[in-house]
Amino acid sequence: MRWTACELHAHTLHSDGKMTLLELASAAAKLGFECVALTDHNTMSGLADKEAAERQAGIAILPGMEWTTFHGHMVTVGLAEYVDWREANTGNIHDGVSAVHARGGVAGLAHPFRIGSPACTGCYWEYEMEDWNDFDYIEAWSGTFAPIKTDNARAFSLWTDKLNEGYRLAATSGRDWHDAAETEEPISVTYLRLEDESRPIGEEAAEALRRGRVSVTIGPLVTLEAQTPAASYRIGDVIPVGERTVTARIGIDFSVRQGLWTLADPACRIRLSSNKGVLEESAVQATEGTQEARITVQTEGLSWMRAELWGIVRGVTTMIAFTNAIYFD
Amino acid sequence: MLIDIRANATPEDSRTHVRFPFKLDEPACAVGIHFEYSPKCLDDDSRARELLEQSFEKYVLPEQLALAKERLDRHLPLKNLITLSVDDPAGYRGACHRHDPVQSLWISEHDASPGLMKGKIAAGEWTITLSVHAVVTERCAYRLQVWAADEVEKGEQP
Repeated sequence: MRWTACELHAHTLHSDGKMTLLELASAAAKLGFECVALTDHNTMSGLADKEAAERQAGIAILPGMEWTTFHGHMVTVGLAEYVDWREANTGNIHDGVSAVHARGGVAGLAHPFRIGSPACTGCYWEYEMEDWNDFDYIEAWSGTFAPIKTDNARAFSLWTDKLNEGYRLAATSGRDWHDAAETEEPISVTYLRLEDESRPIGEEAAEALRRGRVSVTIGPLVTLEAQTPAASYRIGDVIPVGERTVTARIGIDFSVRQGLWTLADPACRIRLSSNKGVLEESAVQATEGTQEARITVQTEGLSWMRAELWGIVRGVTTMIAFTNAIYFD
Repeated sequence: MLIDIRANATPEDSRTHVRFPFKLDEPACAVGIHFEYSPKCLDDDSRARELLEQSFEKYVLPEQLALAKERLDRHLPLKNLITLSVDDPAGYRGACHRHDPVQSLWISEHDASPGLMKGKIAAGEWTITLSVHAVVTERCAYRLQVWAADEVEKGEQP
């Protein structure tokens, strides 16, 4: 089991990006990513260079494609072959998702609240949704310094609303990376928990997204576990009915990607959120190592809980990191 | 020349695909494609602002509307966008989703323009699909030319 730093949304010159795949993979490796998904618009032709780029950059490349349709952009990762995007209309997106699933891929909403046509046709999600459980994830954070952007706040709220409605879907970050220019802005990382490293990483990453084994951050890696005397549950797991109290263990690992992010202020707050609101909040100080907070949770009425890290970044009080949910049956 | 058409797209064509099938009677070494459209940008500033304000009503939360209007300029100039994808007799050969209004493309057994997939150029029914994402000008003139070629002709326009 290992948390792997991933960039899940990136383009090359095979669509409208400015980088070759090798340039993309090298830039991602330099930023401390262990894998990057190639999600070019409506083509997978860039993957022809995958093995060579992986070897030279020393990083895994996940196969993907962004369905760049007129009514929404849908990121797909892990699929073994192309799935046609041109038949999509506002009423049949679930057919497209089924086809992606049938080829081993996962599907998520890309930047669902970015301004749509005519500024960016399809950037705003306009599909009729029959069952949110059909989708694997929502890209809650898009672009750089993602947590302070209003479109992302709206996407994050959408995700929370769907969790409250009882859906179990993941939230990710995706830079929607198009060029090699360096930025001073904080970069989001989607950590995926890979359970079986003997399997191909593309399959494992898709499985992690499918199961919601996901933690997102612009700094330290935040993890969440729930323990009962009998068992231990991790992010993405479902705690069975009958567990009346659990101990939530929130880990904050400040040692990840050292030197590649900074918090100007060491004062942070860790928060355990749920469908019943904030269960507990406490102060932590950023350190070099790992900190842990233990919280006793009464499970009655809970359908999900997640951990969040808040603090001051570039003078703004903002969410720094969030885990995906642990669910309750 | 397998296809040589000049046509116009209008705002009503936005969010539609236009398909241009053609037949290759025998296998070829390569297929060349030249596609261009014009104008790229909407120069009428007040019309652009009007279109954006209409879209904000649809896409921006009421409480964010004032801020969006303040930052309207970052969406200017508004642009036409038409992209191209290719199907051969066996299926998809890729797409060139980019903003360039002039694209000279090449697809052969041994190489292909970025976005397209190299491989045999088989006889049968091929299709070029133009995906009209947005037309913001009153009309947008486009030209699509497709021809079968030998490898040595690479890069040459008709």
